[in-house]
Amino acid sequence: MATSPASPATVPLPATARPMVARPGAFTVLGRFVRKKPLGAAGGFIMLAITLTAIFANVVETHDPIATDAAQTLGRPSTEHWLGSDHLGRDVYSRIVHGARVSLIVGIASTLLGSFLGGIIGLLSGYIGGKTDLITQRVLDILQGLPLLVLAMVMSAALGASIQNVVIAISVPIIPRAARVIRSSVLSIREMQYVEAARAVGVRHLRVAFRHILPNTIGPFIVLMTAQLGSAILVEATLSFLGLGVPEPYPSWGRMLSVSAAEYAQKAPHLVLFPGVAISLAVFGSNLLGDALRDTLDPRLRGA
Amino acid sequence: MKTYLAQRLGIAVLTLVGMSIVIFALLRFAPGDIVDILFSTGGYVNAEERKAIMKELGIDKPLVTQYFEWVRNFLTGDLGKSYRYDQPAWDVIRPLIPVTLELAVLSTLVAVLLGVPTGVISAIRQDTTLDYVLRVFSLAGLSMPAFWLGMVIILGLVSYLQWIPPVTYVSPRESLWLHAVQFGLPALAVGYRSSALIMRITRSALLEVMREDYIRTAWAKGQSERIVIWRHALKNAILPVVTVIGIEFAFLIGGLVVTENVFNLPGVARFLVQAILWRDYPIVQNLVMFIAVVVILSNLFVDMLYGFLDPRVRYGN
Amino acid sequence: MRKPMLVTLAAGLAIAVVGGLALTPAIGQAPKSGGTLNIMAREDLAQGFATHETSTVATSTPSLPCFSNLVFFDPGKKTDSMDSIVGELAEKWSWQDNYKNLVFFLRKDVKWHDGKPFTSKDVKHTFDMVREAPDAPAKLRISPRKDWYANVEHIEAPDPYTVVFRLKRPQPSLLLMLASGYSPVYAAHVPPAAYRTGCIGTGPFKLKEWRKGEFIEYVKNPDFYVKGRPYLDGIRYVVIVERGTRTAALQSGQLDVAFPGETGRTAMEQLKKAVPTMVFQPVAQNVSDNIIMNTKKPPFDNPKVRLAVSYAIDRRGLIQAAHQGGAVLGAAMLPRPYGVWGMLEKDLAALPGYGKPEDMKAQAKKLLAEAGITAQSPLKVEMSVRAIAIYLDMASFVINELKQVGIESTLKQIETAQWHATATRGDYQIGANLTGLGTDDPDANFYENYACGSPRNYSQYCSEEVMRLFDRQSQELDVKKRTAMVIDIQKRLEQDAPRPILAQRLDYYAHWAHVKGLVAHNNVYNFSRFQDVWRDK
Repeated sequence: MATSPASPATVPLPATARPMVARPGAFTVLGRFVRKKPLGAAGGFIMLAITLTAIFANVVETHDPIATDAAQTLGRPSTEHWLGSDHLGRDVYSRIVHGARVSLIVGIASTLLGSFLGGIIGLLSGYIGGKTDLITQRVLDILQGLPLLVLAMVMSAALGASIQNVVIAISVPIIPRAARVIRSSVLSIREMQYVEAARAVGVRHLRVAFRHILPNTIGPFIVLMTAQLGSAILVEATLSFLGLGVPEPYPSWGRMLSVSAAEYAQKAPHLVLFPGVAISLAVFGSNLLGDALRDTLDPRLRGA
Repeated sequence: MKTYLAQRLGIAVLTLVGMSIVIFALLRFAPGDIVDILFSTGGYVNAEERKAIMKELGIDKPLVTQYFEWVRNFLTGDLGKSYRYDQPAWDVIRPLIPVTLELAVLSTLVAVLLGVPTGVISAIRQDTTLDYVLRVFSLAGLSMPAFWLGMVIILGLVSYLQWIPPVTYVSPRESLWLHAVQFGLPALAVGYRSSALIMRITRSALLEVMREDYIRTAWAKGQSERIVIWRHALKNAILPVVTVIGIEFAFLIGGLVVTENVFNLPGVARFLVQAILWRDYPIVQNLVMFIAVVVILSNLFVDMLYGFLDPRVRYGN
Repeated sequence: MRKPMLVTLAAGLAIAVVGGLALTPAIGQAPKSGGTLNIMAREDLAQGFATHETSTVATSTPSLPCFSNLVFFDPGKKTDSMDSIVGELAEKWSWQDNYKNLVFFLRKDVKWHDGKPFTSKDVKHTFDMVREAPDAPAKLRISPRKDWYANVEHIEAPDPYTVVFRLKRPQPSLLLMLASGYSPVYAAHVPPAAYRTGCIGTGPFKLKEWRKGEFIEYVKNPDFYVKGRPYLDGIRYVVIVERGTRTAALQSGQLDVAFPGETGRTAMEQLKKAVPTMVFQPVAQNVSDNIIMNTKKPPFDNPKVRLAVSYAIDRRGLIQAAHQGGAVLGAAMLPRPYGVWGMLEKDLAALPGYGKPEDMKAQAKKLLAEAGITAQSPLKVEMSVRAIAIYLDMASFVINELKQVGIESTLKQIETAQWHATATRGDYQIGANLTGLGTDDPDANFYENYACGSPRNYSQYCSEEVMRLFDRQSQELDVKKRTAMVIDIQKRLEQDAPRPILAQRLDYYAHWAHVKGLVAHNNVYNFSRFQDVWRDK
């Protein structure tokens, strides 16, 4: 995204200056959120369902996802194979359930890694300013100069195919995007009076950065992460589809589409439909949630 | 304005240089010997012949020398030789560019034609059912993998119309109809995705502008709603919209990579995937650099347009 | 003449005419000239048309129409053997001095595609280059089949139309190797590097255009040395990388002919349903699924463990699961009726992995127990495999089988570009592999894949005793005796289990009914010159 200067609209009050009011209970907050942002709540529900499926994959599955069955290849959805079976007789439903685990782990790990690294870079760069900021900006420009997918592809090819490398490959393009967002947030807070006051009193830079500025970037940070999570899941699916992603035997939604589906599409269209729906649902849920969170937590970024 | 442009240009050049180093380094530190790769199509490894090949390809020189040779050659138009084809990389890449360019332009067209009107409608009818429906529709576009959408389109055609779209490139001279279909379908798949972001930006930019006082003044003056919207609001909302269109065009390549694969179009993006899978490093290096140049140029173009349209920049700070 | 005789004569004539007319369709229609064919290519050429520098069917097969060999396997016969070898550039040949000298008498009317005449100099140049003779006039960048000609002492060209191969010891198989699709004749006046970007050959078709990533287009060679051939005006290999798209293109008629080895059983069923008149020629590919194990490192240096792996894998189950029935049982050499050196099913039944799955697995567990591996202390290994669907399918099944006897394996994907280097270096424990044989010949197979020191002997298996057996069969001139020796060697190889063979792949070679005169061979490398093929409409 292009750097859009923060519009001089409302800025959330810094933590230290909040009025002394009894904090509302968690459930009330949740209820308010659901009522005000039904779409976001739906997104949250989807993400929760997927997360639970991923965690309890071994409980929810009906078959071993890597067990082959020569007698049941390319079977339509039935009572035994709820979503059908693939060309090796493996149960599609169980593979999708386990695929959730892979997609979420890769998505969350890479988003966290990229966002944290980027966030720290953005925080320091925005706070320190001056030449450091300028140089960091150019370096970030370089990383951002390539489309996410292309950079991830090249990194994945350079590092080799393994689940750790895929996480790294996807997190690298996220770093500059995260740094950008945090930096712009930091820039606007840095000039706030209470920060200047703290400096005047003699609080050390690092302390100012971490104790006063960081908590106020949490809002944009959470928004950023949910937005990037959707991207990360999508990129992982695409990399796996191209053969550059998570290797066998981990079931991956993206690879299920390239290996089985493309070849047997005419005979077994369910192989094309279900993994794609799974990917779309996961990204959709995270996007809905991200949008709603952004509207709630950081109205400044609504236009961005 | 002039200093702004010069600034942006300088940054663009710096970025390009930086990217060339990153790309070069990434591929050199990749696992797997270049010579092994060449041998792989021979299914054969021979230690004695290895030295001769390394000399022939110029990869026995120190890395820094190799880098500067590459840069010097790149600037003079010599992109090195492809490993798999043993031919100048530029000769291999050049015929592919028009295909990708055509697809990119068509996709952007679809994205704009789909995204801007839906964004306008959604803004006008904010918070109505229509707004929600359109927002969900556009969000769905952002959520669906472009390659999956392509596969579903083809599957739909095959299953319901018993018709398989052409799998090899059909030029407009051969059959305009087939060519249009061949490019139209992937343009739809990619364009739908891009349109989502354009729709969202159009909507929010319009909403912000509509809150402005002067819009409300114009409204109060009694002009019909439509003229108010079109004349005043759009003109001012156009800036962020143009920005995002420019950015989307550059980042289209991500969607094109998979779509060209699924629809079997002989473009730059599909070739990039192949080259990466073959580890044909000269091709990968040069293609990625080419993409970087396109992205940076179009960012520069957007910056210039921004500078032209935004009166704050145009008339100096 | 008497009336009855007249009647008999007339009746006889009528019967003859009617019989003749009835027989004609059985003999076949007369070939028509003209038309072009679109043929499937599953990937673009690697190193162009430089067949001598590659070992992939992706290069050798699409290059076949451009080249000619000294001798070739008869295009019209399905099974390649010593008896089906016909001359191309050689009119006649003869073995002399008890199979130690091979003399070829060359055709005198052959021209290269650039007009220059073909002579014995071209043959000597080509094969001196391939065998990396010390006085070779040019050098190939790499020569993967150098060892095919290791036994050649000297090649002579005493006159422009005679070539003599002088061998160190008798080797009847040399003729088979020269007949392979991997043995075209290059032009002496063309530098070998030029074949990586273009093709000057003597074959039925001339290269018209190679559009990278899209197609390879040939036109009819008007000066082809076989008069009246080829029938077709041109052929075009169309590159389609996605498997599903390839089948769809064939189904919709955008392609006329499949690529050898690319029509599996499921694709065949799909095509048959969509196009009932599609023609399928089920043939063996001479490509086997096998398991390679590093015999130089634990745990697979222990022959009992290797044998257990072989017992554990139910061959019939693999054929069903990974090939949907599109493969056959076979050991190192292609079984009958697909090949001539293979074992019969009754022989195979006694080999590990071919019996009842429960018994086989029990046997495997017993062997593993002897090596100290039980369910309580399982063996954990890493299975290396190329990142391609057909390898992964095989590996998935095998991993499942091994799990049931106490061997836990994780998959390690190796990029295609790194595979040969990794395997040759021995950088793996166990791997799922495919092996294609350039020609159905025991020498080509044994020396390439099982001989001490051969770079493609990925298992690094080395047995002096077995090497002696290889040499003995190589020099045996009596075919019956030689076949018996080869069968014994195959049994021995399965017992030592450095590379247990899992299945021999089948191909249901598909083409549209209007393509005539095309005969698929039991070997993916040795057919596709298209010189006798014609279009019916």
